[in-house]
Amino acid sequence: MNRTPAFYGLFFLVVLAALLFRVSGLELRPMHHDEANQAVKFGSLLEEGKYRYDPTQHHGPSLYYLTLPFAWIGSGTSFASLSKVTLRLVPAVFGAAIILMLLLLKDGYSPPALFFSGILAAVSPVMVYYNRFYIQETLLVFFLVGAIASGWRYLQERRWGWAAAAGFFSGMMFATKETCIILFAAATGSLVLVRVLGGSIKSRENPESKEKNSRRATLVHLLVFGGTALAVSILFFSSFFQNPRGILDSVLAFKTYFGRAAGAGFHSHPFPYYLKMLAYSRYGNGPVWSEALVLILALVGCAAVFLNRSQQMSERLFLRFTFFFTILATAIYSLIPYKTPWNILPFYIGIILLAGQGVVFLLNLSRKVIVQSLVILILGVGLCHLGLQSYRANFIYSADPRNPYVYAQTSPDFNNLVQRVEEIARFHPEHKQMLIKVITHPDEAWPLPWYLRSFGKVGYWQEVEEAGPLSDVPLIISSTDKVDRLQLQIRDSYQSEYYGLRPEVLLALHIRKDLWDKFIKERTLK
Amino acid sequence: MIKKSDSLVFTILLFFLFFLSPGFGFQDTGQEKVELKLKLPKPMFVGTPRNIRSPNLERITGKSRPPFYVPKGTELLSLDKPVTSSDTEPVIGDLGFVTDGEKSGEEGYYVELGPSVQWVQIDLGRSCSLNAVLIWHYHSQARVYRDVIVQVSDDSDFITDVQTIYNNDHDNSAGLGIGKDKEYIETNEGRLIDPRGVNGRYIRLYSRGNTSNEMNHYVEVEVYGTLSK
Repeated sequence: MNRTPAFYGLFFLVVLAALLFRVSGLELRPMHHDEANQAVKFGSLLEEGKYRYDPTQHHGPSLYYLTLPFAWIGSGTSFASLSKVTLRLVPAVFGAAIILMLLLLKDGYSPPALFFSGILAAVSPVMVYYNRFYIQETLLVFFLVGAIASGWRYLQERRWGWAAAAGFFSGMMFATKETCIILFAAATGSLVLVRVLGGSIKSRENPESKEKNSRRATLVHLLVFGGTALAVSILFFSSFFQNPRGILDSVLAFKTYFGRAAGAGFHSHPFPYYLKMLAYSRYGNGPVWSEALVLILALVGCAAVFLNRSQQMSERLFLRFTFFFTILATAIYSLIPYKTPWNILPFYIGIILLAGQGVVFLLNLSRKVIVQSLVILILGVGLCHLGLQSYRANFIYSADPRNPYVYAQTSPDFNNLVQRVEEIARFHPEHKQMLIKVITHPDEAWPLPWYLRSFGKVGYWQEVEEAGPLSDVPLIISSTDKVDRLQLQIRDSYQSEYYGLRPEVLLALHIRKDLWDKFIKERTLK
Repeated sequence: MIKKSDSLVFTILLFFLFFLSPGFGFQDTGQEKVELKLKLPKPMFVGTPRNIRSPNLERITGKSRPPFYVPKGTELLSLDKPVTSSDTEPVIGDLGFVTDGEKSGEEGYYVELGPSVQWVQIDLGRSCSLNAVLIWHYHSQARVYRDVIVQVSDDSDFITDVQTIYNNDHDNSAGLGIGKDKEYIETNEGRLIDPRGVNGRYIRLYSRGNTSNEMNHYVEVEVYGTLSK
């Protein structure tokens, strides 16, 4: 396979397939607690044009600002008319764009290696699953690939444009998620290790190279890189100069995130959590999940980094960089006690790149057609298996706890609660302006604020005693452990129902009897 | 003695008081009404909640059940009795699990029936006077089963002489009539139903999915009673 129109044609087909996989059925999975948090935060930017960076929650601003064009096109400027499909299109489109961005790594990677990496990224269950999740991870990976690719191209060509691009992507990484410093550390460490092991990337020979390689030019390029990164992060964190305090907060946020990383609480998981999840997972009577193929191919790719001498020096150095970056990023993410499965993405892209290299290494082991056919056959079966798992993960088990990537996910039964609230509102004279009191623990309130966004009067309390008079409220939604105290006030004048919020977590919906009777009467007449 | 003029003033005052009283419609003539803006508390933003995937076999929900008294001579009638179901090919497990005496909440001890309304039916062999029915749908996770309906009959097809001893289908979504019993969260104690001595040979238990998924499960059903004379 060469860098010909055929290669680009095939590569674009892979990107197109990845996009279709990511944008199909985005409405299937109920909004996750975290997605709803992000969506409500975005709602105030959409409707009021206000965004204020919070150093304790939600991560960086880029997700919200980049959602704006999607929302304007898909739903206008009303938060109530915004759909979860519109929101999830943001990571879905950027998820497919990650694969497209791999093309910038040409010269560092051979076209076949890029092609196979692209296919693996397109069908990887964990990549597809979280590319359909309205959180920051997909954007972080997109900007990471952009930063590495631009940095790589700069080192080859020493043009200020690439330095500015690398700065832009680095600034966007910071404006996406503060924990990008893990990736910066891994990238810096990898550059040092590549250098220590011998070799530096020389720019291509051209008439201007002497001048461009001069110390002064390098210093200017460094300033361009740093200045662009700084400017981008200042723009976003200050809400485009509406909230200058955000710039300081973006630095103070590290205190929060360092604290969270150390005191992980119930998100604390052992070192091999991520790799084990990728290698083999099975919960209850659910199917076996495994991306072992990618891991094994990545191991072959690691061997290829040091064994294969056929590559050009620059390619070899870039492979070494990818190797060290992946090892360091995986190790750091695994060492941090705080773990959530979507944090796999930033280091998994490195594993996928190494796996692509592994495929090429295996194909080049022998020139015998039978050996190459066997490799292609095994790879084909493996890719089908990955694709099947992706399909299962996103279209059958998208909210099922037997899917390893389902983490504190809202149960599908929650949709029934929302449907009931909508049904009851039809019988209230004020319809969606009826009063709804939500009395729950804070983490049991979500994703209600998203689903009840079109209701005009919804209040949230943590204790029954704080919620004021309750005996005449049309609808009350409560945590189950508050039902007994609630019963003292509402007695038998409400019909109560239970709904699943998450595994092991239920919500009780209390419907005022007159509304319930009207609802049942209409249902009986039907 | 009240003067005439005083009476007139008093009448006029009463007149104004009447028309300006809060309950009278003329009170706010000319006054523009505005909506009372309620300032309701917003939801607190909180981080990712706990991910719970492991079973909780000994979930404690509060007080344990008080003693339940039955007539002397009451015995377990359902052990190893034949079980039939609306779902003849369970997704997981075997219908025999319903009456095999095993009540563990672990994997391998429950039968899973398909989605929507499903039933299991126990044949006690002969008509009996029933004093207690104890049901465990699935107790390794806090969940609520929908439309739990328990019926007793001497007719295996449940067409004649059907007596409903429990029904928490409050919105008639199962189509067997509205029930007044409460929904409940599954625990390892099971749900105890008092059949109040009703007679019958067959027990049929309905459900329509649960709060965690749309499937129907049974770990065990115990039917206690005495043989009818």
